[in-house]
Amino acid sequence: MIASLLRSGVSRRTFLASAAAGAGALAGLLPRPLRAQDKTVKIGFLAPLTGPVAAWGKPGLDGCQIWAEWINAGGGINIGGEPHRVEFVAYDDEDDPAKARTGATQLIRENDVKFVMMLGGNSWPGVQPVAERTGMLFSTLLPSDLSPSTATLIAPAEVHPIYNVTAVDWLAANRPELKTAVICAQDDALGLPSVATYLAAFEAAGIEMLDEPLLFDPATTDFAPVVTRMLSKKPQIVCLDTCYSDYVHPICEQLFQQGFKGQILSCTLDFYDQVIAKTSAEFMEGTLFQFPDFDDPALNADFINFQKPNEFFAEYNRRHPGQWGAVSWEYASVMDLWKAAVEKAGSAEPDAVKAAMTEGGEGLHAFGKARWWGKDLFGIDNALVGNWPVVAIEGGKARIKEFRSIPDWYDKHGELMKKHMAAYNQMWDQRG
Amino acid sequence: MPRIVFLLLWSVLIALLLALPHGLSLSQQEVLVFLTINVLLVSSYRLLTLTGEWSLGHVVIMGVGAYGSALYTRHFGIPVPISMLLGAATAAVLALLLSYPLFRMKGLYFLIGSFAASEIVRLLWKRMREPFGGAKGLSRIEPMPDFDIGIWQFDFFEPVSYYYFSLAVVGVCLWIMWRIEHSPVGLTFHAVHWQDKLAESAGVNARAYRTLAFVLASAFAGLSGALLAHYVGTVNPSSFDVEVMVFVLTWAIVGGTSTLYGPILGCVVLTVLNEIVLRNLGFEQARPLIYGLVLIVSVLFLPKGLESLVQKLLERRRTAIALQPEKA
Repeated sequence: MIASLLRSGVSRRTFLASAAAGAGALAGLLPRPLRAQDKTVKIGFLAPLTGPVAAWGKPGLDGCQIWAEWINAGGGINIGGEPHRVEFVAYDDEDDPAKARTGATQLIRENDVKFVMMLGGNSWPGVQPVAERTGMLFSTLLPSDLSPSTATLIAPAEVHPIYNVTAVDWLAANRPELKTAVICAQDDALGLPSVATYLAAFEAAGIEMLDEPLLFDPATTDFAPVVTRMLSKKPQIVCLDTCYSDYVHPICEQLFQQGFKGQILSCTLDFYDQVIAKTSAEFMEGTLFQFPDFDDPALNADFINFQKPNEFFAEYNRRHPGQWGAVSWEYASVMDLWKAAVEKAGSAEPDAVKAAMTEGGEGLHAFGKARWWGKDLFGIDNALVGNWPVVAIEGGKARIKEFRSIPDWYDKHGELMKKHMAAYNQMWDQRG
Repeated sequence: MPRIVFLLLWSVLIALLLALPHGLSLSQQEVLVFLTINVLLVSSYRLLTLTGEWSLGHVVIMGVGAYGSALYTRHFGIPVPISMLLGAATAAVLALLLSYPLFRMKGLYFLIGSFAASEIVRLLWKRMREPFGGAKGLSRIEPMPDFDIGIWQFDFFEPVSYYYFSLAVVGVCLWIMWRIEHSPVGLTFHAVHWQDKLAESAGVNARAYRTLAFVLASAFAGLSGALLAHYVGTVNPSSFDVEVMVFVLTWAIVGGTSTLYGPILGCVVLTVLNEIVLRNLGFEQARPLIYGLVLIVSVLFLPKGLESLVQKLLERRRTAIALQPEKA
């Protein structure tokens, strides 16, 4: 057909010009999503995707893919008046600092990403020199990585473990008859600051610790002795600190088998349906933790800044049934904040985005308006802190009981927090 | 092989190793640095296995060198290159101390004993926040100081510079290990491995030689740990757990341990497969599965390791050369 058109007297030049004009006109008629594909802004995802800590990396990447598809379908990100498609480039750091360093180098210097999201923790010290050299904007889910020496590291989603105070505070207000507690945790960089936080929260709530925190080795697989020792003190509350789900599940099973009748308190309760299947809905009833399912009606409140949480949860479960966890939404919520800052700054360059993000000292956290905070504990105000949900198992389902303010608690009991953090060498100036 | 051909081959190999990073991307250069360090680790492991003992504590010994070197620099202000040597010496001294209880055992018992002893060391790092930093370990470890040699500037943050430094250190260490193996001491190591009773009847103190191999291997492993610590800038107990040890064992098993190049071959092939090929092919999350399959396949079809392929090739070449005059 093209040949016959050319034969009929239409020159090649005219044909090509007409085709280009036609394509341009067609592009004008098409919805924005396709046009947004002209330019791409890349985001680095540097977290464990395999290995024992993968549960706090992989679900986050899955959530980000949904987020990116929705944003791209809605026209992409507007940077300086031009729509940009978002693309995630993932690197599995295996929770290892050396591999994280390699990953950061690849993402920044080869893939040309504009922002890198990390789980943080073990892997961060390997990345820190790269961050300081390149000035790249990084986010972590673990604010204990923050320090004044790296101004480009922010903790905009999760103020682990400080938010754990909200559940203890709620417990003290709603179940004042509970006066004694024990706590266990894996002896690692995630467990220890969380222990310090719970100790501060229990002390503030007037709840007596019956024993020293029981710190077990992360290689532990048999939790019967751990639970037996805790229950020997006859506590009203058993606190599981920030244990990985590989520990939370067997500990709950042991608590069930050893006949515990009191209150279970945990930071996370990932895949709680499996715990209920191994114990019973009655046993787990009332268990408190900090991470809601996003089909919770409470997340439709006006002050919630996470976009379409119920739809996000439904889509996530459709694609990855039974894999919803604590981090499924967190990295996506960081992206919400980043997108807003990029559009405000009109640039995706790290310096401009950071300045736009922290302007005025406040930001829109997933759970409401929050403030940039942290100088006391982390030496730098790079953690976005505000309200956090207290979640309970009710009838076999996670339900938000209340949103509580972390800054309000800290204003009253900040000294206790600092005391316990210092006792566990978790203040920023005590690390490494 | 004529000496001139031998020298030519070595010159080509050295030229290739020097040129190698310039043909790689930045992240591949990073992998190359870690690969070079791991070559030293796995080669030092082979030195230990010469006496027939397989340990599960070698990676922790590497960690002793890493922690030691980092702490010497931090607390005593010792220059990094010297602290690296002191870290290696610390690993050797610890190995000497551990050898007293450990070499009361042999074979499987030694394997289990080495695991137990190394776990004690690793848990000490975790429990003792001073000076080891507890579970979070040490960070902001002093890097190698940059320096200039005329037109060459060495910025050791950059992988190419650190690769050349590591290559020089590892090259010297491999040469020393090769010399040890081919010395009377090395031959005695082999005798202790294959005929320990006969060796003892000839007056060889088998336990002393096992201890010597353990101490020497630990010194080299400690040096590899020190190289790692001053490049990554951080060490923590999880970096030296049994999972990492499994990787070292895998390199040694897949590569083979009867030659010096066997474990190196295993380390290089598996690292390139795991860190470059599978990642670039988009199998990021399926890597442990594929890695496991490769291990099973290699054990089934190459029970003597990758080195057996090289040995077969060399054998064929030798036969061909030997037959040439007959044909003529």
